[in-house]
Amino acid sequence: MSNEHTVKSYEEELRYLIDSVIKMGSLTESQLVDSMDAIIKVDKDSIDKIIKSDDEINKFRSKIDTQIMTLLVKRAPMAIDLRETISSLKISQDLERIGDLSKSNAKKVKPLPLDLPEELLGNLKRLGELVIKQLNDVLDSYVNKNYDKAKEVWEKDEQVDDLTYIAMESVIDFLSKDKKNLDFSTHLIFATKNLERAGDHITNIAESICFLIKGEYLKGSRPKGKVIEK
Amino acid sequence: MNEIKIKSKNLNVYYGEKQALFDVNLDLNEKEVTALIGPSGCGKSTFIRCINRMNDVIDICKVSGNIEIDGVEINDKNLDVVSLRERVGMVFQKPNPFPKSIYDNISYGPKIHGKGETKSELDEIVENSLKKAALWEEVKDRLDEPGTGLSGGQQQRLCIARAISVNPEVILMDEPCSALDPIATAKIEELIDELKKTYTIVIVTHSMAQAVRVSQKTGFFHLGKLIEVGKTEKIFKNPDNKMTQDYITGRFG
Repeated sequence: MSNEHTVKSYEEELRYLIDSVIKMGSLTESQLVDSMDAIIKVDKDSIDKIIKSDDEINKFRSKIDTQIMTLLVKRAPMAIDLRETISSLKISQDLERIGDLSKSNAKKVKPLPLDLPEELLGNLKRLGELVIKQLNDVLDSYVNKNYDKAKEVWEKDEQVDDLTYIAMESVIDFLSKDKKNLDFSTHLIFATKNLERAGDHITNIAESICFLIKGEYLKGSRPKGKVIEK
Repeated sequence: MNEIKIKSKNLNVYYGEKQALFDVNLDLNEKEVTALIGPSGCGKSTFIRCINRMNDVIDICKVSGNIEIDGVEINDKNLDVVSLRERVGMVFQKPNPFPKSIYDNISYGPKIHGKGETKSELDEIVENSLKKAALWEEVKDRLDEPGTGLSGGQQQRLCIARAISVNPEVILMDEPCSALDPIATAKIEELIDELKKTYTIVIVTHSMAQAVRVSQKTGFFHLGKLIEVGKTEKIFKNPDNKMTQDYITGRFG
């Protein structure tokens, strides 16, 4: 935002809303990192902490909803302020969904055997790192109102799709070797799919940021990777 | 988009030494509502007063450039201003009914413009005008009572009925709701929505929300210049000009 509002409290309310979204984003990122760590290390002790952190994220979502409703009735925001308000609403919804997916992944650690082979986890780990990087970049682009960076994240989701496909293939390969692996392999397939869905929410956030900055939605359809085609 | 009804080209207005409008080029579409917004003294009222040559009554006022209605220049000295004002009605900030009966307030215009020669013709005009202004049901049993005895909102609708009684093509509204409560304002806004089916409407307003609600096109004036004009939705969601954005978001005014 450029100049300050004539009404200082309006300026503060908008700033407070943006800060809440940034804080929620940072919490969501930590939770995603923790849930990935828990899967890769098969760390069953951290499950409860990750599940609990989802409550914090949900509380942020409710708080942001309230802030937005108050802003709408008090200020009837226009132009950039309207777009800031609407994009906060949309971004917080996507962050909450990413939080749910991280929580779901944390729950999947419970049935995993402690001696998971590296060949099984390697691709999943790479996928997790890419999704975490995507979330980090999209939040950076929100903080700095960087249109190009948000668009880059949006385009890069193709790589998330491709890696999801590869990670799925490696789990299916492993599963096909021995049917005894069926139970925990299924959990890993769901965890992989959850990461891909988190990637989709990140692209939604990127779209909201582009709309916030330029006032128009990204044109054309997003480049899609293998997993979607399948 | 509807056809252009009013076209201003390089319109400049001076009050003595002071220039109030600078090269305003603005097209207003037929049977559409155009809202003009901008800080006090930005020239929006001066602009609409050019459309029915209200500025003629101010001695020191000088107008240059063109305003055309249906392609005909209205600043032409040979143009009959009375018939221009018959075509272009106006409603002001404060309701200003004549100190006469409700009936006489409406029938006065048609009488002086030679419309409605018989009593029954006049009765019909009065009834239709009051119906179009959504006031008929409230006053039909007391048409002989003074117009000034009505509530503020009713008085403003009476003024709108008076403006439409001579069957104009254009209605100019200069902050028509600024003296009204929210319910009376809502009634006027609903009325504007109805009236735009028949008339070309230009409204000056200080309420951004009102401009969004009632208009299809919005022009933003600042220091006598038309800064930006476009579809209302575009202006209030994503204006092109930074000054427009700063004004509508309350960053200056």
